Amino acid sequence: MGTVKDKTNATTDADVQEIRFHGRGGQGAVSAAALLALAAYEKGYQAQAFPKFGSERRGAPVEAYVRISNQPIRAHNQVYTPNIVVIQDSTLLKSEPVLQGLKANGLIVLNSAHQPSQPEEIENEYRWICLPASQIAETHLGRPLPNTVLLGALAAVTDWDILPGLAQAIENHLAKKGKRITEKNIEALHRGYESALQQGRADSRKEIAP
Amino acid sequence: MKKLLEGSRAIAEAVKLCRPQIVAAYPITPQTHIIENLAQMVADGDLAAEFINAESEFAAASIVLGAVAGGSRAFTATASQGLLLMTEVLYNIAGMRLPVVMVCANRAVSAPINIFSDHQDSMTMRDAGWIQLYVESNQEAVDSIIQAYRIAEVCELPVMVCVDGFFLTHTFEPVEIPEQTQVDDFLPPFHFERTLNPSNPFTLGGGSEPDNYLEIRAQQQAALIDAVNVIQAIGADYAKLTGRAYELVDSYFAEQADTVLVVLGSTMGAVREVIDSLREQGQSVGVLRLRCFRPLPAQALVEYLSAAKRIIVIEKAFSAGAGGIVAAEVRAVLQQVGVLIPIDSYIGGLGGRDLKLTIIEDVFHQSSLAKSTADGVFLDLKQPGTATKQE
Repeated sequence: MGTVKDKTNATTDADVQEIRFHGRGGQGAVSAAALLALAAYEKGYQAQAFPKFGSERRGAPVEAYVRISNQPIRAHNQVYTPNIVVIQDSTLLKSEPVLQGLKANGLIVLNSAHQPSQPEEIENEYRWICLPASQIAETHLGRPLPNTVLLGALAAVTDWDILPGLAQAIENHLAKKGKRITEKNIEALHRGYESALQQGRADSRKEIAP
Repeated sequence: MKKLLEGSRAIAEAVKLCRPQIVAAYPITPQTHIIENLAQMVADGDLAAEFINAESEFAAASIVLGAVAGGSRAFTATASQGLLLMTEVLYNIAGMRLPVVMVCANRAVSAPINIFSDHQDSMTMRDAGWIQLYVESNQEAVDSIIQAYRIAEVCELPVMVCVDGFFLTHTFEPVEIPEQTQVDDFLPPFHFERTLNPSNPFTLGGGSEPDNYLEIRAQQQAALIDAVNVIQAIGADYAKLTGRAYELVDSYFAEQADTVLVVLGSTMGAVREVIDSLREQGQSVGVLRLRCFRPLPAQALVEYLSAAKRIIVIEKAFSAGAGGIVAAEVRAVLQQVGVLIPIDSYIGGLGGRDLKLTIIEDVFHQSSLAKSTADGVFLDLKQPGTATKQE
């Protein structure tokens, strides 16, 4: 398991928190971004989520963005200097510039089963957390869809208090897929939350509050 | 109540509130989610309309033409090549003075094929005789669609609401969806005087001759020019209903600035950020957004721009072989009233290229230093040979 490197000189922008999701087509980066924005909005923040659409192919690298703020969000630009990156597939660390522009003391949430120590691509200036979200999802959903697990982890390492909001957003999002799938995804969300907490991250949470 | 909605969903909700009886469309990115939402509403029984999945955009436009001529309120949406394929019908709709409302989910045109946003599609239709409103946000998209039906039906002119593809259509952001009762108070049921009726037959768009065609075209032009007043009046009326006011143009410090940027659409949000930052640095700068591009709000342009010392137009389309479309029209309007201000013409954001805040800020600094004006300069242009290959 990884560690979140906590630095005291957080340079987070007080106005807006920017989150960039990196995944592969089919992993649900776009849905994850929307669910995060919905949960943040539910909590009283201003929020915006949108995808960077490329060729819409299963397996192709996909990006999606979220902005969370206390102020109305005006710009519709892509996110270039995120506070947080969520990486749904650790192979993207090698093939895509997933850490580009990440702010100093930024946070990385990485889905990886085999990451006993800090990956070499992740520089010391960043805090990071690593969890086997695909495996957790496989156990709970029967499919290696890391989305809800990673969102749970994100709720654990931020100060947004959005775990209930995420559960509600997932419930609404999956309403048409039936109660069983909804419940399993909410289980996965909570497993991600617990997994992140077990890594002792609570102490760093305030650093990334908007 | 405000909700966090995807732009396309918010647009569909606004269309539903206007109670269209016919929705006809052919799917094309990035318009697809709009009509998927409307199709779902019809299938679920939430929208009492007939949804017609047309075999092409040409057919979709023809269906809404026929629907409105037959007395039904109608809606369609498209983008890019789809809009171009509608061209012949769009001119017909305008020429017949049919109050059709459509959304253009602004997208680049081929070739090369590109699904991302710019304004070349709707700008190419600027002479078709439609009112064109370009929106900054999804809130404005919702509000403009509701206003568009009333504008269209009062003026007997079609209205195209231009919404930036992806930047708005696929963005989740907070949107206030008005109540049905509010919209019902604002928008009376559709009654079309010239509805085709078998028991009292007449022709719409029938043949004309050299001795009357010109007069009919002049009437169309006069109606579009007069529409400026209707758009303003309906915008003011809408403000009474919702508290959200809309004008022909949207000024952010434009009237008190030495340098005024001119833009259309969702880029305005980024420009607002840049203006705030430049003003904090002591720069006298503002921005004017053309919400209404057709009819061209000449008087408002004169009002807001005459006192400026420099104008910088940044637009997401161009007239091939000439240059910036909006810049040329702003120049013409000001020259007409004897105001000769240096006007820079920049073209950027084509095919989805993000107009970053730094690019916009650089344009301001470049312009303030330049002795001559930029004439259709492409922004953020890579050096030859460095552009990456398409995927």
